[in-house]
Amino acid sequence: MTGIRMNKFIYFGKKLLLFLMSIVVLSVAVFFITRLAPGDPLVSYYGERAEKMGPEERAWAEEKLGLHESMPVQYVRWLTNVMRGDFGISYKYKRDVVGVIGERIGNTLLLGGIGFVLIFCLALLLGILCARHEGKLPDRVICGIGTVSSCIPEFWLSLLLVLIFAVNLKWLPSSGSYTAGGPGQWPDRARHLILPTAAVVLGHLWYYAYLIRNRILEEVRADYVLLAKAKGLGRHSILYRHCLRNVMPAYLSIMAISVPHILGGTYIIEVVFSYPGLGTLLYESARYKDYNLLMLLCMLSGIAVILSNLAVQMINERGYGNDERQ
Amino acid sequence: MTKDSKFEIVGIRRLPCTESVKQKKRKRRYRDKPIAAAAILVLIVLACLLCELVMTGDPASLDLRSCSVPPGREFLFGTDTMGRDIFSMIWYGGRISLFIGIASTLLSTVLAVILGAASGIAPARIDALMMRLTDIFLSIPSLPLVILMQAVLGQANLFSISFVLGITGWMSIARVVRSEVRRIRNSEYLIAAKCMGGGFFHILWKHLTPNFIPSIMFMVVMNVRNAIVAESTLSFMGIGLPVEEVTWGSMLSLSENALLTNAWWIILIPGSFLTVTLLCITSLGNYLRGKGNTGQSNL
Repeated sequence: MTGIRMNKFIYFGKKLLLFLMSIVVLSVAVFFITRLAPGDPLVSYYGERAEKMGPEERAWAEEKLGLHESMPVQYVRWLTNVMRGDFGISYKYKRDVVGVIGERIGNTLLLGGIGFVLIFCLALLLGILCARHEGKLPDRVICGIGTVSSCIPEFWLSLLLVLIFAVNLKWLPSSGSYTAGGPGQWPDRARHLILPTAAVVLGHLWYYAYLIRNRILEEVRADYVLLAKAKGLGRHSILYRHCLRNVMPAYLSIMAISVPHILGGTYIIEVVFSYPGLGTLLYESARYKDYNLLMLLCMLSGIAVILSNLAVQMINERGYGNDERQ
Repeated sequence: MTKDSKFEIVGIRRLPCTESVKQKKRKRRYRDKPIAAAAILVLIVLACLLCELVMTGDPASLDLRSCSVPPGREFLFGTDTMGRDIFSMIWYGGRISLFIGIASTLLSTVLAVILGAASGIAPARIDALMMRLTDIFLSIPSLPLVILMQAVLGQANLFSISFVLGITGWMSIARVVRSEVRRIRNSEYLIAAKCMGGGFFHILWKHLTPNFIPSIMFMVVMNVRNAIVAESTLSFMGIGLPVEEVTWGSMLSLSENALLTNAWWIILIPGSFLTVTLLCITSLGNYLRGKGNTGQSNL
């Protein structure tokens, strides 16, 4: 018993170590790449004024922002500040980075979360539907439409949606998260969410539905299905009680894999709809060299991705933490 | 009973034979092969390669008198908000989009094959280290990474963007190559080749590559697709190629103005070409992957 517990301990310890290592490497990479990039962070802090500065003024400004030191020193200082919970200020908004992100993160989580849930509910339904009618008309039609839909680039899909529903039919607003003039109420927000969510869902749905469909079809060809059939079980109870249960681990790991993809897609769609979320923030900070903000945003997305990759690994290796069972 | 069957088939469940053997053979030969996709793709690629012959105008000339002209006789697909002829730009820009897709895939495939094979042949410790590094690379979200790399390389051009997309796209292929190589690394013919003094690249090219090519072919084709999508997304957002450099993506970067004036052709036409091309590439890729589920369903 203690042996098993010990092995589990080691297993999670290893995963934790890997997680920390990945984060450190990620932070070093992002830090150095951003600092090496051409472009002037002073412009984003001082605006137009930065270009007219004399050399002395520049030196003073750089010292104030802590940009005068060598890069390793800057990194170490950034790291120690982070350890103390201080992520620095945004050069553009001249405020604490955490505050700037805190305002926007809710919007992204809402859009991405609704999209994620919808994608996986619909993907499972479509997967089952296709698998039940394998090779017949419904399956072929859905597969055809799905293949086409998965080939449409996200940003163009969003453009199309705006063109159709906002510009021509004038049903839905095309940008923002609420009508200008004060934060709107929930119905207003929901109306602004429809198009971006539709873009997120349509852009990703088929990829996952197809994976699930194929996984179910693989399962249906297993020998136990034949046994269950011989035992006299009906098609439905074989599919829903036995096959789907075996598909669930794969479904979970597909869900975990999808996090980075859906996150990236959400970022792009946010930019197209100028939806005030992390995507637009990331885009702005990359353009205007808002170092501290860019750093934290990259780290946040990176951590989400690393965590989901770890989750995939742990789902796929479940039970292997203790060697006796292997 | 049809003309060319010599025997009458009898029995309880006699199925009428409606197709001749010849028809059946022909059907089998073309079944599940992406003939249409391949034909359309060849057409688009040829038109893009020979764009000088196809173009009806100069894609770079800015005609300020005819901005946002709807499709008509003079401008087959209309003009964009800067007064450029979209019909000519499609072919001219397609050449660049396709070039970026193929160039970056070449780079990422070569990287993936070399790193994956090196990792597969290497002793366990080095292999583990390299795979950890690959995992970490994979875990960096690709969009911010591409934006960052692009910022480092400065003003984007054709080669820098291919380079960036190539260098961020090798990880998943490398993993497959590595696992394939690990599977065959102890084969007799590899040991024989090593004993006879074959170098790393000789073994890689002569013995390993033929073994893993079928399993990475699908991913390579998909890589072309992903690179084209990534390039057009970046150019669309204004962080890839500038508007002056015509590609399908940078043509779409004018769409914000087009949305205001409801100039649908500026958005619809380049995007449809992009989508059709991607669709053809995807069907070819799916064909290369082969059929997933053969055999009778037990359900």
